[in-house]
Amino acid sequence: MILRNGSKATLARFLAVATGLIFSGGCGGSSSSSSTSTPAANNTAPMTVGFGPLGAPGGFVDGLFTSVTVCLPGTSTCQTIPDVLVDSESVGLRILNSALTTFPASSLGTITNNGNQLQECLQFGDLSYVWGPVLVADVELGGEKASSVPIQVIGDTTFNAPSNCFGTNPIGLNDDTVANLGANGILGVQNYAQDCGGSCTSSGAFFTGYPYYVCPSDVCSETFVPLTSQVWNTVAAFSSADNNGVLITLPSIPATGAADGSVSGSLIFGIGTQTDNALASSAIVYALDAYGNFPQVTYNGTQYTSPNNGSFIDTGSSGLFVLDASTLGIADCRDNGYYCPSQTLTLSNIALTGYGNVGSGTVSLSIANADALFAANPTFAAFNNLGSDSGTGPSTDFFDFGLPFFFGRRVYIGMMPGQFSGESSAPSGASSTYGYWAF
Amino acid sequence: MKITLRVLLILILGTVPAWAVLGQYESSVSVDQQYLRSEDRVQAFQAYKVHQLTSANGTIVREYISPQGLVFGVAWQAPFMPNMQQLLGSYVTNLQTASPTQTQVRHLRGRIVKTNDFVFVSGGHMRFWKGRAYVPSLLPNNVSAEVVR
Repeated sequence: MILRNGSKATLARFLAVATGLIFSGGCGGSSSSSSTSTPAANNTAPMTVGFGPLGAPGGFVDGLFTSVTVCLPGTSTCQTIPDVLVDSESVGLRILNSALTTFPASSLGTITNNGNQLQECLQFGDLSYVWGPVLVADVELGGEKASSVPIQVIGDTTFNAPSNCFGTNPIGLNDDTVANLGANGILGVQNYAQDCGGSCTSSGAFFTGYPYYVCPSDVCSETFVPLTSQVWNTVAAFSSADNNGVLITLPSIPATGAADGSVSGSLIFGIGTQTDNALASSAIVYALDAYGNFPQVTYNGTQYTSPNNGSFIDTGSSGLFVLDASTLGIADCRDNGYYCPSQTLTLSNIALTGYGNVGSGTVSLSIANADALFAANPTFAAFNNLGSDSGTGPSTDFFDFGLPFFFGRRVYIGMMPGQFSGESSAPSGASSTYGYWAF
Repeated sequence: MKITLRVLLILILGTVPAWAVLGQYESSVSVDQQYLRSEDRVQAFQAYKVHQLTSANGTIVREYISPQGLVFGVAWQAPFMPNMQQLLGSYVTNLQTASPTQTQVRHLRGRIVKTNDFVFVSGGHMRFWKGRAYVPSLLPNNVSAEVVR
Protein backbone atom coordinates (compact mmCIF):
# COMPACT_ATOMS: atom_id res chain seq x y z
CA MET A 1 0.00 0.00 0.00
CA ILE A 2 0.95 3.65 0.06
CA LEU A 3 3.08 3.09 3.12
CA ARG A 4 5.65 1.31 1.06
CA ASN A 5 6.93 4.29 -0.83
CA GLY A 6 6.83 7.01 1.73
CA SER A 7 7.38 7.60 5.37
CA LYS A 8 4.55 6.84 7.71
CA ALA A 9 4.68 10.35 9.00
CA THR A 10 3.65 11.47 5.54
CA LEU A 11 0.78 9.06 5.57
CA ALA A 12 -0.34 10.19 8.97
CA ARG A 13 -0.34 13.78 7.79
CA PHE A 14 -2.30 12.84 4.72
CA LEU A 15 -4.89 11.09 6.79
CA ALA A 16 -5.15 13.93 9.20
CA VAL A 17 -5.78 16.36 6.39
CA ALA A 18 -8.13 14.08 4.54
CA THR A 19 -10.49 13.03 7.25
CA GLY A 20 -9.17 13.51 10.71
CA LEU A 21 -8.32 9.84 10.90
CA ILE A 22 -4.92 9.31 12.46
CA PHE A 23 -2.64 6.30 12.44
CA SER A 24 -0.56 5.96 15.54
CA GLY A 25 1.49 3.36 17.25
CA GLY A 26 4.12 1.52 15.33
CA CYS A 27 4.81 4.55 13.24
CA GLY A 28 8.51 4.09 13.59
CA GLY A 29 10.05 5.46 10.46
CA SER A 30 11.19 3.09 7.82
CA SER A 31 12.43 6.31 6.32
CA SER A 32 15.36 4.69 4.63
CA SER A 33 13.18 3.45 1.83
CA SER A 34 16.16 2.85 -0.38
CA SER A 35 15.26 1.37 -3.70
CA THR A 36 17.08 -1.84 -2.97
CA SER A 37 16.74 -4.72 -5.35
CA THR A 38 15.91 -7.12 -2.58
CA PRO A 39 16.13 -10.83 -3.27
CA ALA A 40 12.87 -12.50 -4.16
CA ALA A 41 10.80 -13.20 -1.11
CA ASN A 42 9.64 -16.67 -0.18
CA ASN A 43 6.21 -16.06 -1.65
CA THR A 44 4.45 -19.22 -0.50
CA ALA A 45 2.32 -19.89 2.55
CA PRO A 46 1.28 -23.51 3.13
CA MET A 47 -2.41 -24.31 3.49
CA THR A 48 -4.33 -27.33 4.66
CA VAL A 49 -7.91 -28.44 4.10
CA GLY A 50 -9.88 -29.62 7.07
CA PHE A 51 -12.43 -29.14 9.79
CA GLY A 52 -10.48 -26.32 11.41
CA PRO A 53 -10.16 -25.75 15.16
CA LEU A 54 -13.62 -27.10 16.01
CA GLY A 55 -12.95 -30.53 14.56
CA ALA A 56 -15.86 -32.72 13.58
CA PRO A 57 -18.71 -32.34 14.04
CA GLY A 58 -19.31 -28.64 14.24
CA GLY A 59 -16.33 -27.47 12.27
CA PHE A 60 -15.95 -26.71 8.62
CA VAL A 61 -16.07 -29.25 5.88
CA ASP A 62 -13.83 -28.15 3.04
CA GLY A 63 -12.32 -25.39 5.15
CA LEU A 64 -9.07 -23.95 3.76
CA PHE A 65 -6.67 -22.80 6.46
CA THR A 66 -3.28 -21.14 6.77
CA SER A 67 -1.14 -19.53 9.47
CA VAL A 68 -0.67 -15.80 9.77
CA THR A 69 1.99 -14.00 11.78
CA VAL A 70 0.84 -10.74 13.33
CA CYS A 71 3.41 -8.36 14.83
CA LEU A 72 3.32 -5.13 16.73
CA PRO A 73 4.26 -2.59 14.06
CA GLY A 74 7.97 -2.00 13.70
CA THR A 75 8.88 -4.58 16.32
CA SER A 76 9.80 -8.23 16.48
CA THR A 77 7.00 -8.91 18.93
CA CYS A 78 4.96 -11.34 16.89
CA GLN A 79 2.44 -14.12 17.21
CA THR A 80 1.75 -16.82 14.68
CA ILE A 81 -1.94 -17.62 14.53
CA PRO A 82 -2.94 -20.97 13.00
CA ASP A 83 -6.26 -21.99 11.51
CA VAL A 84 -7.02 -18.76 9.69
CA LEU A 85 -9.57 -19.31 6.93
CA VAL A 86 -8.32 -18.43 3.44
CA ASP A 87 -11.18 -16.60 1.75
CA SER A 88 -10.87 -15.54 -1.87
CA GLU A 89 -14.12 -13.58 -1.77
CA SER A 90 -13.48 -11.16 1.05
CA VAL A 91 -10.78 -8.58 1.61
CA GLY A 92 -8.40 -8.22 4.51
CA LEU A 93 -7.20 -9.94 7.65
CA ARG A 94 -9.65 -10.34 10.53
CA ILE A 95 -8.31 -11.98 13.67
CA LEU A 96 -10.26 -13.07 16.72
CA ASN A 97 -9.42 -11.02 19.77
CA SER A 98 -9.34 -14.26 21.75
CA ALA A 99 -6.60 -15.61 19.45
CA LEU A 100 -4.22 -12.78 20.39
CA THR A 101 -2.43 -14.31 23.37
CA THR A 102 1.13 -12.99 22.99
CA PHE A 103 0.08 -9.37 23.18
CA PRO A 104 -3.28 -7.67 23.60
CA ALA A 105 -5.07 -5.99 20.73
CA SER A 106 -4.66 -2.72 22.60
CA SER A 107 -0.92 -2.74 21.92
CA LEU A 108 -1.42 -2.72 18.14
CA GLY A 109 -1.39 0.57 16.26
CA THR A 110 -4.59 2.53 16.30
CA ILE A 111 -6.60 4.44 13.73
CA THR A 112 -8.57 7.22 15.35
CA ASN A 113 -10.86 10.06 14.51
CA ASN A 114 -10.89 12.83 17.14
CA GLY A 115 -9.43 10.32 19.52
CA ASN A 116 -12.07 7.70 18.84
CA GLN A 117 -10.92 4.29 17.64
CA LEU A 118 -12.20 3.25 14.20
CA GLN A 119 -14.53 0.23 14.42
CA GLU A 120 -15.99 -2.01 11.77
CA CYS A 121 -19.16 -4.04 11.49
CA LEU A 122 -19.31 -6.50 8.64
CA GLN A 123 -22.26 -8.67 7.82
CA PHE A 124 -21.92 -11.68 5.55
CA GLY A 125 -24.43 -13.27 3.22
CA ASP A 126 -25.48 -15.84 5.82
CA LEU A 127 -26.44 -12.85 8.02
CA SER A 128 -23.66 -13.61 10.48
CA TYR A 129 -21.46 -10.69 11.38
CA VAL A 130 -18.13 -9.63 12.84
CA TRP A 131 -17.51 -6.52 14.91
CA GLY A 132 -14.38 -4.91 16.28
CA PRO A 133 -11.68 -2.25 15.92
CA VAL A 134 -9.54 -1.59 12.85
CA LEU A 135 -5.94 -1.70 14.10
CA VAL A 136 -2.50 -1.48 12.55
CA ALA A 137 -0.14 -4.45 12.49
CA ASP A 138 2.81 -5.85 10.59
CA VAL A 139 1.60 -9.04 8.96
CA GLU A 140 3.80 -11.87 7.70
CA LEU A 141 2.61 -14.57 5.32
CA GLY A 142 5.19 -17.11 4.22
CA GLY A 143 8.28 -14.95 3.68
CA GLU A 144 6.24 -11.89 2.71
CA LYS A 145 5.64 -8.93 4.95
CA ALA A 146 3.12 -6.10 5.01
CA SER A 147 4.16 -3.28 7.30
CA SER A 148 1.64 -1.22 9.22
CA VAL A 149 -1.39 -2.64 7.48
CA PRO A 150 -4.92 -2.04 8.81
CA ILE A 151 -6.52 -5.28 10.01
CA GLN A 152 -9.66 -5.94 12.03
CA VAL A 153 -9.61 -7.50 15.47
CA ILE A 154 -13.01 -9.10 15.87
CA GLY A 155 -14.66 -9.88 19.14
CA ASP A 156 -13.33 -6.90 21.04
CA THR A 157 -16.14 -6.09 23.43
CA THR A 158 -15.22 -2.51 24.29
CA PHE A 159 -18.34 -1.35 22.47
CA ASN A 160 -21.58 -3.10 21.66
CA ALA A 161 -22.14 -3.80 18.00
CA PRO A 162 -24.49 -1.28 16.38
CA SER A 163 -27.89 -2.40 15.13
CA ASN A 164 -26.53 -2.74 11.58
CA CYS A 165 -24.76 -5.77 12.97
CA PHE A 166 -27.98 -6.90 14.66
CA GLY A 167 -26.27 -6.68 17.97
CA THR A 168 -29.43 -5.84 19.82
CA ASN A 169 -31.80 -8.16 18.02
CA PRO A 170 -29.64 -10.84 16.46
CA ILE A 171 -30.77 -12.45 13.24
CA GLY A 172 -27.50 -14.02 12.30
CA LEU A 173 -24.69 -15.53 14.27
CA ASN A 174 -22.06 -13.33 15.89
CA ASP A 175 -18.86 -14.71 14.36
CA ASP A 176 -16.64 -13.14 16.99
CA THR A 177 -15.82 -16.44 18.71
CA VAL A 178 -14.01 -19.59 17.58
CA ALA A 179 -17.19 -21.55 18.28
CA ASN A 180 -19.17 -19.50 15.81
CA LEU A 181 -16.52 -18.58 13.25
CA GLY A 182 -14.96 -22.04 13.14
CA ALA A 183 -11.56 -20.42 12.62
CA ASN A 184 -9.16 -18.07 14.39
CA GLY A 185 -9.65 -15.48 11.73
CA ILE A 186 -10.20 -14.81 8.04
CA LEU A 187 -7.53 -13.95 5.50
CA GLY A 188 -9.35 -12.28 2.63
CA VAL A 189 -7.47 -12.29 -0.68
CA GLN A 190 -10.20 -11.08 -3.02
CA ASN A 191 -9.33 -8.93 -6.04
CA TYR A 192 -9.72 -5.63 -4.20
CA ALA A 193 -7.09 -3.73 -2.20
CA GLN A 194 -9.52 -2.50 0.48
CA ASP A 195 -12.67 -4.06 1.86
CA CYS A 196 -15.02 -1.19 1.15
CA GLY A 197 -13.28 1.03 -1.38
CA GLY A 198 -14.80 4.21 -2.75
CA SER A 199 -18.22 3.54 -1.24
CA CYS A 200 -16.83 4.42 2.19
CA THR A 201 -14.67 7.42 1.34
CA SER A 202 -17.11 9.88 -0.12
CA SER A 203 -19.24 12.44 1.57
CA GLY A 204 -23.00 12.14 1.37
CA ALA A 205 -25.43 9.75 2.95
CA PHE A 206 -24.43 6.58 4.74
CA PHE A 207 -26.09 3.52 3.31
CA THR A 208 -27.68 0.56 4.94
CA GLY A 209 -25.03 -1.97 5.89
CA TYR A 210 -22.35 0.72 6.03
CA PRO A 211 -19.38 -0.87 7.84
CA TYR A 212 -17.25 1.82 9.51
CA TYR A 213 -18.02 3.40 12.87
CA VAL A 214 -16.61 5.44 15.70
CA CYS A 215 -18.13 5.27 19.16
CA PRO A 216 -17.67 8.50 21.14
CA SER A 217 -19.38 8.29 24.55
CA ASP A 218 -20.30 4.67 23.79
CA VAL A 219 -22.61 5.70 20.96
CA CYS A 220 -21.52 4.23 17.65
CA SER A 221 -22.22 6.10 14.44
CA GLU A 222 -20.98 5.78 10.88
CA THR A 223 -17.87 7.59 9.69
CA PHE A 224 -16.22 8.01 6.31
CA VAL A 225 -12.79 6.42 5.98
CA PRO A 226 -10.07 7.07 3.39
CA LEU A 227 -8.79 4.08 1.45
CA THR A 228 -5.54 4.08 3.41
CA SER A 229 -7.36 3.53 6.72
CA GLN A 230 -9.73 0.82 5.55
CA VAL A 231 -8.96 -2.84 6.19
CA TRP A 232 -6.43 -3.75 3.52
CA ASN A 233 -5.89 -6.85 1.51
CA THR A 234 -2.63 -8.04 3.11
CA VAL A 235 -1.28 -9.06 -0.29
CA ALA A 236 -1.79 -5.56 -1.69
CA ALA A 237 0.23 -4.21 1.23
CA PHE A 238 3.29 -6.42 0.77
CA SER A 239 6.62 -4.64 0.57
CA SER A 240 7.63 -6.95 -2.29
CA ALA A 241 6.40 -6.88 -5.87
CA ASP A 242 4.23 -9.94 -5.16
CA ASN A 243 1.22 -7.71 -4.62
CA ASN A 244 -0.89 -8.16 -7.75
CA GLY A 245 -2.79 -11.28 -6.82
CA VAL A 246 -2.43 -14.80 -5.55
CA LEU A 247 -2.15 -18.29 -6.97
CA ILE A 248 -3.99 -21.00 -5.06
CA THR A 249 -2.93 -24.57 -5.72
CA LEU A 250 -4.53 -27.68 -4.27
CA PRO A 251 -3.89 -31.27 -5.32
CA SER A 252 -6.46 -33.59 -6.80
CA ILE A 253 -8.30 -35.78 -4.32
CA PRO A 254 -10.35 -38.95 -4.77
CA ALA A 255 -14.12 -38.77 -5.22
CA THR A 256 -14.44 -40.38 -1.80
CA GLY A 257 -12.69 -37.39 -0.23
CA ALA A 258 -9.65 -37.06 1.99
CA ALA A 259 -8.98 -37.05 5.72
CA ASP A 260 -8.90 -33.93 7.84
CA GLY A 261 -5.57 -32.17 7.44
CA SER A 262 -4.24 -34.62 4.87
CA VAL A 263 -4.56 -32.27 1.92
CA SER A 264 -1.90 -29.60 1.63
CA GLY A 265 -1.81 -26.74 -0.83
CA SER A 266 0.02 -23.52 -1.48
CA LEU A 267 -1.00 -19.92 -1.28
CA ILE A 268 1.49 -18.31 -3.66
CA PHE A 269 1.75 -14.54 -3.71
CA GLY A 270 2.05 -12.48 -6.86
CA ILE A 271 1.21 -13.41 -10.42
CA GLY A 272 4.00 -13.36 -12.98
CA THR A 273 6.36 -11.77 -10.48
CA GLN A 274 8.50 -14.83 -9.74
CA THR A 275 9.29 -18.08 -11.44
CA ASP A 276 6.83 -20.01 -9.30
CA ASN A 277 3.81 -17.84 -10.06
CA ALA A 278 4.04 -17.40 -13.83
CA LEU A 279 0.69 -17.36 -15.54
CA ALA A 280 0.48 -20.79 -17.13
CA SER A 281 0.00 -20.70 -20.88
CA SER A 282 -2.75 -23.27 -20.46
CA ALA A 283 -4.72 -21.05 -18.06
CA ILE A 284 -7.75 -19.21 -19.38
CA VAL A 285 -8.02 -15.66 -18.05
CA TYR A 286 -11.56 -14.58 -17.17
CA ALA A 287 -11.98 -10.85 -16.61
CA LEU A 288 -14.38 -10.01 -13.78
CA ASP A 289 -17.26 -7.62 -14.25
CA ALA A 290 -17.88 -4.53 -12.12
CA TYR A 291 -19.66 -6.68 -9.51
CA GLY A 292 -16.73 -9.08 -9.23
CA ASN A 293 -18.59 -11.86 -11.06
CA PHE A 294 -18.49 -13.87 -14.22
CA PRO A 295 -20.73 -11.78 -16.52
CA GLN A 296 -22.33 -14.97 -17.77
CA VAL A 297 -22.46 -18.67 -17.05
CA THR A 298 -24.38 -20.89 -19.44
CA TYR A 299 -25.55 -24.33 -18.46
CA ASN A 300 -28.02 -26.66 -20.11
CA GLY A 301 -29.13 -23.94 -22.51
CA THR A 302 -29.87 -21.37 -19.81
CA GLN A 303 -27.84 -18.20 -19.39
CA TYR A 304 -27.11 -17.08 -15.84
CA THR A 305 -26.16 -13.43 -16.11
CA SER A 306 -24.62 -11.07 -13.58
CA PRO A 307 -25.82 -9.30 -11.52
CA ASN A 308 -29.16 -11.14 -11.16
CA ASN A 309 -27.47 -14.51 -11.41
CA GLY A 310 -23.98 -13.33 -10.47
CA SER A 311 -21.55 -16.26 -10.33
CA PHE A 312 -18.06 -16.48 -8.84
CA ILE A 313 -15.32 -18.73 -7.50
CA ASP A 314 -14.63 -18.75 -3.77
CA THR A 315 -12.31 -20.68 -1.47
CA GLY A 316 -14.45 -19.53 1.47
CA SER A 317 -17.51 -21.44 0.27
CA SER A 318 -17.52 -24.96 1.63
CA GLY A 319 -19.28 -26.50 -1.33
CA LEU A 320 -20.41 -26.04 -4.90
CA PHE A 321 -23.40 -23.78 -4.45
CA VAL A 322 -24.91 -24.23 -7.86
CA LEU A 323 -28.47 -23.72 -9.12
CA ASP A 324 -31.11 -25.40 -6.94
CA ALA A 325 -32.30 -28.91 -6.21
CA SER A 326 -35.46 -28.81 -8.31
CA THR A 327 -33.71 -27.21 -11.29
CA LEU A 328 -31.09 -29.96 -11.12
CA GLY A 329 -33.71 -32.62 -10.43
CA ILE A 330 -31.99 -33.91 -7.31
CA ALA A 331 -32.74 -34.00 -3.60
CA ASP A 332 -31.45 -31.93 -0.74
CA CYS A 333 -30.11 -33.95 2.17
CA ARG A 334 -32.52 -34.12 5.08
CA ASP A 335 -30.01 -33.66 7.87
CA ASN A 336 -27.54 -31.16 6.45
CA GLY A 337 -27.60 -28.37 3.94
CA TYR A 338 -25.95 -30.24 1.08
CA TYR A 339 -27.25 -32.07 -1.98
CA CYS A 340 -28.05 -35.77 -1.73
CA PRO A 341 -28.53 -37.03 -5.28
CA SER A 342 -29.42 -40.71 -5.54
CA GLN A 343 -26.41 -41.12 -7.79
CA THR A 344 -23.50 -38.79 -8.46
CA LEU A 345 -24.55 -36.00 -10.79
CA THR A 346 -22.15 -34.62 -13.38
CA LEU A 347 -22.68 -31.09 -14.66
CA SER A 348 -20.64 -30.95 -17.83
CA ASN A 349 -20.05 -28.12 -20.25
CA ILE A 350 -20.69 -25.28 -17.86
CA ALA A 351 -19.67 -22.38 -20.11
CA LEU A 352 -17.96 -19.41 -18.49
CA THR A 353 -17.62 -15.98 -20.05
CA GLY A 354 -15.38 -13.14 -18.85
CA TYR A 355 -16.05 -9.40 -18.92
CA GLY A 356 -15.71 -7.90 -22.38
CA ASN A 357 -15.43 -11.46 -23.63
CA VAL A 358 -11.97 -11.73 -22.06
CA GLY A 359 -12.05 -15.42 -21.31
CA SER A 360 -14.31 -18.19 -22.43
CA GLY A 361 -14.13 -21.81 -21.49
CA THR A 362 -16.00 -24.70 -19.96
CA VAL A 363 -15.76 -26.60 -16.70
CA SER A 364 -17.45 -29.68 -15.29
CA LEU A 365 -18.60 -30.33 -11.78
CA SER A 366 -19.47 -33.47 -9.94
CA ILE A 367 -22.03 -33.58 -7.13
CA ALA A 368 -22.17 -36.64 -4.91
CA ASN A 369 -24.49 -37.66 -2.09
CA ALA A 370 -23.20 -35.76 0.94
CA ASP A 371 -24.81 -38.10 3.48
CA ALA A 372 -23.08 -41.06 1.87
CA LEU A 373 -19.73 -39.27 1.74
CA PHE A 374 -19.88 -38.25 5.40
CA ALA A 375 -21.10 -41.66 6.56
CA ALA A 376 -18.43 -43.58 4.65
CA ASN A 377 -15.54 -41.67 6.21
CA PRO A 378 -16.40 -39.59 9.27
CA THR A 379 -12.82 -38.30 9.58
CA PHE A 380 -12.79 -36.94 6.05
CA ALA A 381 -13.00 -33.19 5.69
CA ALA A 382 -11.96 -32.55 2.07
CA PHE A 383 -14.36 -33.28 -0.76
CA ASN A 384 -14.36 -32.24 -4.40
CA ASN A 385 -18.02 -33.06 -4.97
CA LEU A 386 -20.08 -31.46 -2.21
CA GLY A 387 -22.88 -29.34 -3.57
CA SER A 388 -25.79 -27.29 -2.35
CA ASP A 389 -28.49 -24.89 -3.48
CA SER A 390 -27.51 -21.37 -4.50
CA GLY A 391 -31.09 -20.16 -4.48
CA THR A 392 -34.69 -21.24 -4.84
CA GLY A 393 -35.32 -20.78 -8.54
CA PRO A 394 -33.76 -19.99 -11.90
CA SER A 395 -34.44 -16.26 -11.88
CA THR A 396 -31.97 -15.77 -9.03
CA ASP A 397 -29.89 -18.97 -9.03
CA PHE A 398 -26.16 -18.74 -9.66
CA PHE A 399 -22.90 -20.69 -9.55
CA ASP A 400 -20.66 -20.30 -6.51
CA PHE A 401 -17.66 -22.45 -7.40
CA GLY A 402 -16.55 -23.12 -3.85
CA LEU A 403 -13.56 -24.98 -2.46
CA PRO A 404 -14.38 -28.31 -4.18
CA PHE A 405 -13.72 -26.54 -7.47
CA PHE A 406 -10.11 -25.78 -6.46
CA PHE A 407 -8.88 -29.36 -6.03
CA GLY A 408 -6.54 -30.33 -8.85
CA ARG A 409 -6.39 -26.77 -10.14
CA ARG A 410 -4.03 -23.83 -10.12
CA VAL A 411 -6.32 -20.83 -9.70
CA TYR A 412 -5.02 -17.28 -10.11
CA ILE A 413 -6.91 -14.44 -8.43
CA GLY A 414 -5.76 -11.25 -10.13
CA MET A 415 -6.01 -7.92 -8.35
CA MET A 416 -8.04 -5.13 -9.92
CA PRO A 417 -5.45 -2.85 -11.54
CA GLY A 418 -4.83 0.74 -10.55
CA GLN A 419 -5.84 0.53 -6.89
CA PHE A 420 -2.60 1.64 -5.26
CA SER A 421 0.82 2.96 -6.14
CA GLY A 422 3.44 0.30 -6.53
CA GLU A 423 0.91 -2.29 -7.69
CA SER A 424 2.69 -4.75 -9.95
CA SER A 425 1.08 -4.95 -13.34
CA ALA A 426 -0.69 -8.09 -14.42
CA PRO A 427 1.30 -10.46 -16.62
CA SER A 428 0.77 -10.18 -20.33
CA GLY A 429 -2.41 -11.87 -21.38
CA ALA A 430 -4.19 -10.93 -18.18
CA SER A 431 -5.42 -7.42 -18.80
CA SER A 432 -8.64 -6.53 -17.01
CA THR A 433 -10.58 -3.58 -15.69
CA TYR A 434 -11.82 -5.11 -12.45
CA GLY A 435 -9.42 -7.98 -11.88
CA TYR A 436 -9.52 -11.53 -13.16
CA TRP A 437 -9.57 -15.20 -12.40
CA ALA A 438 -7.48 -17.65 -14.36
CA PHE A 439 -7.38 -21.44 -14.29
CA MET B 1 -46.31 -7.27 -19.84
CA LYS B 2 -45.28 -3.70 -19.21
CA ILE B 3 -48.24 -1.38 -19.25
CA THR B 4 -47.05 1.84 -17.75
CA LEU B 5 -43.79 3.24 -16.57
CA ARG B 6 -43.60 6.26 -14.45
CA VAL B 7 -40.64 7.65 -12.64
CA LEU B 8 -40.83 9.34 -9.30
CA LEU B 9 -37.82 11.17 -7.98
CA ILE B 10 -38.23 12.11 -4.39
CA LEU B 11 -35.50 13.13 -2.03
CA ILE B 12 -36.49 12.81 1.57
CA LEU B 13 -34.11 13.59 4.36
CA GLY B 14 -36.39 12.85 7.27
CA THR B 15 -35.81 10.36 10.02
CA VAL B 16 -36.86 6.76 9.73
CA PRO B 17 -40.17 6.23 11.47
CA ALA B 18 -40.69 2.47 11.46
CA TRP B 19 -39.89 -0.80 9.86
CA ALA B 20 -41.40 -1.98 6.61
CA VAL B 21 -42.27 -3.76 4.39
CA LEU B 22 -42.80 -7.43 3.40
CA GLY B 23 -46.45 -8.35 3.91
CA GLN B 24 -47.47 -4.77 4.53
CA TYR B 25 -49.30 -2.25 2.37
CA GLU B 26 -47.67 -0.48 -0.53
CA SER B 27 -47.51 2.74 1.46
CA SER B 28 -44.77 1.20 3.57
CA VAL B 29 -42.46 1.29 0.55
CA SER B 30 -41.92 4.97 1.21
CA VAL B 31 -40.45 4.09 4.58
CA ASP B 32 -37.81 1.99 2.88
CA GLN B 33 -37.27 4.73 0.37
CA GLN B 34 -36.49 7.15 3.14
CA TYR B 35 -34.28 4.67 4.90
CA LEU B 36 -32.35 3.92 1.74
CA ARG B 37 -32.36 7.58 0.61
CA SER B 38 -33.22 6.31 -2.80
CA GLU B 39 -35.05 7.06 -6.00
CA ASP B 40 -38.30 5.19 -6.45
CA ARG B 41 -39.15 3.98 -9.94
CA VAL B 42 -42.50 2.29 -10.29
CA GLN B 43 -43.19 -0.24 -12.97
CA ALA B 44 -46.66 -1.70 -13.44
CA PHE B 45 -47.30 -5.11 -14.90
CA GLN B 46 -50.63 -6.76 -15.51
CA ALA B 47 -50.83 -8.65 -12.24
CA TYR B 48 -48.45 -6.77 -9.99
CA LYS B 49 -46.40 -3.63 -9.56
CA VAL B 50 -42.71 -3.16 -8.76
CA HIS B 51 -41.09 -0.34 -6.85
CA GLN B 52 -37.39 -0.16 -7.62
CA LEU B 53 -35.47 1.82 -5.02
CA THR B 54 -31.99 2.84 -6.15
CA SER B 55 -29.46 4.43 -3.82
CA ALA B 56 -26.46 6.48 -4.82
CA ASN B 57 -24.06 3.80 -3.55
CA GLY B 58 -25.49 1.15 -5.86
CA THR B 59 -27.98 -0.51 -3.54
CA ILE B 60 -31.05 -1.64 -5.43
CA VAL B 61 -34.18 -2.88 -3.65
CA ARG B 62 -37.23 -4.09 -5.56
CA GLU B 63 -40.55 -4.44 -3.80
CA TYR B 64 -43.38 -6.36 -5.44
CA ILE B 65 -46.98 -5.23 -4.89
CA SER B 66 -50.04 -7.42 -5.36
CA PRO B 67 -53.37 -6.15 -6.73
CA GLN B 68 -54.53 -6.13 -3.10
CA GLY B 69 -51.84 -3.55 -2.43
CA LEU B 70 -49.64 -5.82 -0.31
CA VAL B 71 -45.90 -6.32 -0.65
CA PHE B 72 -45.54 -10.00 -1.55
CA GLY B 73 -41.84 -10.01 -2.35
CA VAL B 74 -38.61 -8.09 -1.85
CA ALA B 75 -35.34 -8.46 -3.75
CA TRP B 76 -32.06 -6.68 -3.18
CA GLN B 77 -28.60 -6.22 -4.61
CA ALA B 78 -26.08 -4.14 -2.69
CA PRO B 79 -22.38 -3.61 -1.97
CA PHE B 80 -23.12 -4.31 1.70
CA MET B 81 -25.81 -6.40 3.31
CA PRO B 82 -29.06 -4.47 3.65
CA ASN B 83 -30.87 -4.32 6.95
CA MET B 84 -33.13 -7.36 6.88
CA GLN B 85 -35.24 -6.13 9.73
CA GLN B 86 -36.16 -3.15 7.65
CA LEU B 87 -36.91 -5.11 4.47
CA LEU B 88 -38.69 -8.06 6.03
CA GLY B 89 -40.61 -6.44 8.85
CA SER B 90 -42.26 -9.01 11.07
CA TYR B 91 -41.16 -11.83 8.76
CA VAL B 92 -37.64 -11.41 10.08
CA THR B 93 -38.64 -13.69 12.96
CA ASN B 94 -38.64 -16.54 10.44
CA LEU B 95 -34.88 -16.07 10.16
CA GLN B 96 -34.37 -15.96 13.90
CA THR B 97 -36.30 -19.16 14.52
CA ALA B 98 -35.07 -21.18 11.55
CA SER B 99 -34.13 -24.65 12.73
CA PRO B 100 -30.52 -25.83 12.56
CA THR B 101 -31.21 -28.29 9.78
CA GLN B 102 -32.07 -25.40 7.53
CA THR B 103 -28.83 -23.59 8.27
CA GLN B 104 -26.27 -26.28 8.90
CA VAL B 105 -23.97 -25.66 5.97
CA ARG B 106 -21.12 -23.69 7.43
CA HIS B 107 -20.07 -20.89 5.16
CA LEU B 108 -20.35 -17.17 5.29
CA ARG B 109 -21.48 -16.72 1.75
CA GLY B 110 -25.20 -17.24 1.97
CA ARG B 111 -28.29 -18.64 3.55
CA ILE B 112 -31.59 -20.14 2.46
CA VAL B 113 -34.59 -20.36 4.76
CA LYS B 114 -37.89 -21.92 3.77
CA THR B 115 -40.82 -22.14 6.12
CA ASN B 116 -44.48 -22.85 5.42
CA ASP B 117 -45.20 -19.40 4.07
CA PHE B 118 -41.85 -17.65 3.76
CA VAL B 119 -38.93 -18.13 1.40
CA PHE B 120 -35.62 -16.34 1.91
CA VAL B 121 -32.38 -16.48 -0.07
CA SER B 122 -29.25 -14.46 0.60
CA GLY B 123 -25.88 -14.85 -1.08
CA GLY B 124 -22.94 -13.27 -2.82
CA HIS B 125 -19.54 -12.02 -1.75
CA MET B 126 -17.84 -8.93 -0.42
CA ARG B 127 -19.00 -5.83 -2.32
CA PHE B 128 -21.80 -7.84 -3.96
CA TRP B 129 -24.67 -9.22 -1.93
CA LYS B 130 -28.03 -10.15 -3.31
CA GLY B 131 -31.12 -12.02 -2.37
CA ARG B 132 -34.87 -12.16 -2.20
CA ALA B 133 -37.70 -12.98 0.12
CA TYR B 134 -41.33 -13.66 -0.62
CA VAL B 135 -44.55 -14.82 0.96
CA PRO B 136 -46.11 -17.57 -1.18
CA SER B 137 -49.63 -17.01 0.14
CA LEU B 138 -49.50 -13.38 -0.94
CA LEU B 139 -48.47 -14.11 -4.54
CA PRO B 140 -51.09 -12.80 -6.98
CA ASN B 141 -52.99 -15.37 -9.02
CA ASN B 142 -50.98 -16.74 -11.92
CA VAL B 143 -47.82 -14.96 -10.83
CA SER B 144 -44.71 -17.07 -10.27
CA ALA B 145 -42.40 -16.39 -7.36
CA GLU B 146 -39.67 -16.22 -9.99
CA VAL B 147 -40.69 -12.65 -10.81
CA VAL B 148 -39.18 -11.63 -7.47
CA ARG B 149 -35.57 -11.04 -8.45
